[in-house]
Amino acid sequence: MGYVSGLKCRECGREYPVDPIYVCEFCFGPLEVVYDYKRIKRVLTRKNIEKREKNLWRYKELLPINGEPQVGLQSGFTPLVKADNLARELGVRELYIKDDTVVHPTLSFKDRVVAVALTKAKEFGFDTVACASTGNLAHSVSAHGAKAGFKRFVFIPATLEQSKIVASLVYEPNLVAVDGNYDEVNRLCSEIANKYKWAFVNINIRPFYAEGSKTQGFEIIEQLGWEAPDNVVVPCASGSLLTKVWKAFKEFKEIGILKELGTKVFAAQATGCSPIAAAIKQGTDVIRPVKPNTVAKSLAIGNPADGFYASQVVKATNGYGEDVSDEEIIDGIKLLARTEGIFSETAGGVTIATTKKLIEQGRIGRNETTVVCITGNGLKTQEALTGHTAEVHYIKPNLGAFEETLNKIQSAR
Amino acid sequence: MKRRVKLTFPQQLIKEPVIFTMAKKYDVLPNIRRARVTDTVGEMILELEGEEVNLEKGIQALRDQGIEVELIEGDVIE
Repeated sequence: MGYVSGLKCRECGREYPVDPIYVCEFCFGPLEVVYDYKRIKRVLTRKNIEKREKNLWRYKELLPINGEPQVGLQSGFTPLVKADNLARELGVRELYIKDDTVVHPTLSFKDRVVAVALTKAKEFGFDTVACASTGNLAHSVSAHGAKAGFKRFVFIPATLEQSKIVASLVYEPNLVAVDGNYDEVNRLCSEIANKYKWAFVNINIRPFYAEGSKTQGFEIIEQLGWEAPDNVVVPCASGSLLTKVWKAFKEFKEIGILKELGTKVFAAQATGCSPIAAAIKQGTDVIRPVKPNTVAKSLAIGNPADGFYASQVVKATNGYGEDVSDEEIIDGIKLLARTEGIFSETAGGVTIATTKKLIEQGRIGRNETTVVCITGNGLKTQEALTGHTAEVHYIKPNLGAFEETLNKIQSAR
Repeated sequence: MKRRVKLTFPQQLIKEPVIFTMAKKYDVLPNIRRARVTDTVGEMILELEGEEVNLEKGIQALRDQGIEVELIEGDVIE
């Protein structure tokens, strides 16, 4: 027996039963999962959580399932790394990296949302799951869906690079490459989701799927010793992750697990696709769609479904939205790797570079505690670093050649 | 057929009756569900009903004037 009381429209507040639906029939607003916090408060305590397995389901009462978790039993509870070297470099006192480069099984935070979506899909009785993706989501639906025994349909634009296709194909989903531009692929997937009785994770299952992102927020609080940070910097694609990290913080406050909450939430985007950051900077409530052009492909959502809600969270918490160039993104990836030994995908470069900018602007205080969300592994987007890394020292197989090179390395320091 | 869309209006079109003009010209029935308008930009969520070919032409006409026409779901390729 779960703790969900129903679905509710974020715009008009109309209530709906728990069904695989995602949009209000009246105002077309998105639907959000609503919980019975009074009941949750009685059962979910710090002590109970601490006794549980170290995976994302340790907060299961605050996730939208009825029965026991069925998918992603090894997902989540990733390290919160105290990043002293990076903090020194950026000139701040206390900095943490929420390291979702190592989520099981496909090395991005999408394993969290898909674990929740597929558990819910089982509860609804679906035998087929689907998604449209150019990367991380495709990998996660393919892998989690294989383990859970679903038929899987993964839609990609036909122009997608081979390296990204292999990381999905190995799990043997039905991979459908659509020959059309980005808008055409989007529209087709929406039509398919509305016609076929499948669990399309980020369309008809979206209200449940998105809730999985809260686990990153819950973990941050728990791993900080049940305290909220002064600042959290979250990368934005659809904007959903940012709103859910904040929802997680608020829920912990609501049920009494968190005593104080005054966190500022900051949105990080690439300049080549920054509709949310632009709206925040301009102080407008309308998110203007853009055509993405950035090396940070996993954040390249030009028409973000949750952009408005993300901008409202930023506004309400006195945070800010900033964007960074492709060059700054690459530098961000290298900075994190060089200082903390963490190899992030391009989205992580966005978050690190944005954090640096926010510190320089004085929007993040040098004596405050800041958590930076890193959402995917760099091994997935290695091509972004081509020509930007340090160089290999090639030598002949003899000691003289090595020592000659060693001298060069030492004199270069 | 019906299509649910989100329109984003640039500043110079906020005061123009673009929906009415398109509806009349292409025989499309608009059903406005929600709108958000500021000084500089406007957003409207609506359902358009009509023959498929007319819907396509009507939507293209909006785009040609500089209005962004998108899915209400947002981009679903993640």
